Amino acid sequence: MTTARPTSRDDLPRVLELPEPGAPPRTVRPGAGAWLALTVAEARMVARDTAGLVVPLGMPLLVLVMNGLSPGLDQVVPGTGGRTALDVYVLPLTLTMVVATVGVINMPSFLAYYRRTGILKRLGVTPASPAMVLGAQAFVGVAQILLGIALALGVAFVWLGASPPTDPWVAAGVLGLAIAAMYAVGMLVAAVAPTPGSAVAIGLVAFFALGALGGLFGPRENLPDALAALGGWLPFGAAIDALGAAWAGVAVPGSALVGLGATTVVAGGAAAAWFRWE
Amino acid sequence: MTGGTRDDARRVPSVVGMTALVAQHLRKTYRSRRRGEPPVVAVDDVSLSVGPGEVAGVLGRNGAGKSTTVELLAGARGPDSGRVRVLGLDPRADRGRVRGVLGVQLQGAYLHGALTVRELVRLYRSFYPRGVDPDQLVERVGLGTSRDVRFEKLSGGQQQRVSVALALVGAPRAVILDELTTGLDPEARRSMWSLVEDLRADGVTVLLVSHLMEEVERLCDHVTILDAGRVVARGTTAELVDRAGLRPAVTLRTDDPTAADLLARLPAVEHVDAAGPRLAVTGVAAGPDDPRRGDLLHEVGAALAAAGVVATETQLRRPTLDDAFLALTGSPLEAS
Repeated sequence: MTTARPTSRDDLPRVLELPEPGAPPRTVRPGAGAWLALTVAEARMVARDTAGLVVPLGMPLLVLVMNGLSPGLDQVVPGTGGRTALDVYVLPLTLTMVVATVGVINMPSFLAYYRRTGILKRLGVTPASPAMVLGAQAFVGVAQILLGIALALGVAFVWLGASPPTDPWVAAGVLGLAIAAMYAVGMLVAAVAPTPGSAVAIGLVAFFALGALGGLFGPRENLPDALAALGGWLPFGAAIDALGAAWAGVAVPGSALVGLGATTVVAGGAAAAWFRWE
Repeated sequence: MTGGTRDDARRVPSVVGMTALVAQHLRKTYRSRRRGEPPVVAVDDVSLSVGPGEVAGVLGRNGAGKSTTVELLAGARGPDSGRVRVLGLDPRADRGRVRGVLGVQLQGAYLHGALTVRELVRLYRSFYPRGVDPDQLVERVGLGTSRDVRFEKLSGGQQQRVSVALALVGAPRAVILDELTTGLDPEARRSMWSLVEDLRADGVTVLLVSHLMEEVERLCDHVTILDAGRVVARGTTAELVDRAGLRPAVTLRTDDPTAADLLARLPAVEHVDAAGPRLAVTGVAAGPDDPRRGDLLHEVGAALAAAGVVATETQLRRPTLDDAFLALTGSPLEAS
């Protein structure tokens, strides 16, 4: 877990860190061991935050099962190579929820908490940099997303009779793009939130706003036309559309790809400009 | 990389005989919380220097600018103006070189709350290419029985000790400790003090920020006193006492009416206050090189013995750093 060798102060030479008399200290860069240790630390933080685990793992599963039990979802959607409504509507919604809860709600709350409590500042005076925490959190977030998706797909395949996507590689690519877009939104939330509490609040508002426009609470067609169109461009609706297309084996709508890409660039750029380390 | 190394070697000065920690004319202002108000000056023209292997103290009340000074020295913040050098290097421009050799304990910096003591110390150990054994260090700061307790479940004093451990885990050549023993019980405090003595024995340079007079008097080679963002005095404890114009005093009780006149004629004595049988003998404010400087208690005792005067309840009251702080800043330290 660490690169610690069994050394004590007594085992070290009396004059520390001096390769030759009078030489200045060497430049120290954290190595693979530091990255690994920090990633393990972030994984522990995430795994020990029970409330933060329930949302991305439990809530999408609940939505999947409740939708999966309703009648009519086993009907084949025409032109999709035998995929059902469950496959092309409910599964994309479920996966998008997993990505959005981790990216937009959980990650910003961790980063805001780290900033507020001085953890980022403390790391800034070690050879590690606070930016490493961002990297480790992002990595652990991806692991959490993959876990949530595996859980949802397992339940869907085993008990609900779902089918895998027609274009698995397209689905994987879209998923990667969706993660980038939701992370960018999450970083923007972390950048503008002054306190950990407000990060959770802003994250939830962003999640539900994107979700409401994207089809979380019912088909987007029920919304006024302008809002429905907007929802298709914003990352939640765009991810659902793109994943649905991958499942159905039809061309991914350009608006969805543009929407996800633009969100990544714009929100990510704004977050980079506004993010404060302390 | 290869081309840069030679340039680096030319640019980076040798550290032999170099002052370990230097702050020169540091000034730092913070934006005021309220809109339209002028910026708050946290430190103004603060300079201090600590030689290699020295243990130096920074003393001041809350809000005196101690923590800002520490954060500037550690490179956690940049000064508005002034210069910082750690082992001859700028901690912000030469971050990579300084971070590996400077250990820092920041006041009020929290750590990953859900990680245990041991996990935290191992995590921070992984940042350094060399350092001390995490488990031994945890024992050394007295957290052996709490090593598997999450940081958020620790008492304030235990959290304090974790942050001290993290400052030392990379076997640094210089350490900045901000409020080393705040929130610790007397026993834990003494154990931290012995830790600082060990650092001194290892040749580690220590800057100790404190609002505990006893701590500074006991551990530090020299002290810088900050008040309202400025340096008001700097020197050894004895120098500060002298500079504050403080004098030692001896109190005694005698029934001999000639004693007061006898003592007042001694060169080491400035004046004698008599209240019945009680005498208060104030010594001269002599600098370290003043020939009149001596052991007041001894001189008084010898003079009385030579004259055959019987005195009881003889006590020396040596001015402390506490008294010096009061005299130099105008109010006592503990009032904070």
